[in-house]
Amino acid sequence: MLGIRDAEHEETAPDAPTLFIRKLACSLVGKIQTIKIVPGSHAYRAYRQEEVTEQFFCNYGLNPAFRNTIGEGQLRITGVDLDGEVGIVELSDHRFYVATLFLPQIFSRPGSPHPLIVAYLKAALAFQSSRRDSAIKMRPRGR
Amino acid sequence: MNQQLQVGVIGDYDPNLRFHIATNEALLNAAEALSVSVDTSRIPTESLVGGLIGKTLKHFHALWCAPGSPYKSMDGALRAIQFAREEGWPFVGT
Repeated sequence: MLGIRDAEHEETAPDAPTLFIRKLACSLVGKIQTIKIVPGSHAYRAYRQEEVTEQFFCNYGLNPAFRNTIGEGQLRITGVDLDGEVGIVELSDHRFYVATLFLPQIFSRPGSPHPLIVAYLKAALAFQSSRRDSAIKMRPRGR
Repeated sequence: MNQQLQVGVIGDYDPNLRFHIATNEALLNAAEALSVSVDTSRIPTESLVGGLIGKTLKHFHALWCAPGSPYKSMDGALRAIQFAREEGWPFVGT
């Protein structure tokens, strides 16, 4: 989608010339990090906070060489940890399209759901309703 | 009656991976807070290679690309992510 046709992942194609996803400078497995959230983003509307803490379980992340490429497209970086690793990207003109390097599901508990997942299901409910409405409009008259 | 949401979770399910259980639990916790029900279906990445992807995915109200790379089929996972992006399906990748 960014016009990088040979984008590859270091885990599955370590020798590829264009490593869009590369091994992190230091592994984030099990680490809890503070992430700064960009106001106005889907993530910010979900968290309603400019700083959050999340737990990571990964060894791979966005290659810093592509950070500017992402900034030019519709995919936006909306969460960055204090070491500068990209933690959240999202599509600004999409009803809800958010990808995270951390695992929000880890911090979810009964009675204390994760705000990002609540926002995601709210988007799913709105989507379900909009599809139902358009299905009703498409039904032929007089039947 | 409670609204019922269908969520498609893309990934190769491993009952021993606690993240996979956490994904289901997180959906249940969030649905409970919104007073709706949620039904979660696992979509193995290899089932997304070839064929009409819209046919497989269109009845879901949201798609979730689950942790657990490398996927059995990276192509299958990428096709589903592309479908969510281009067709406007609510999506999270974690």
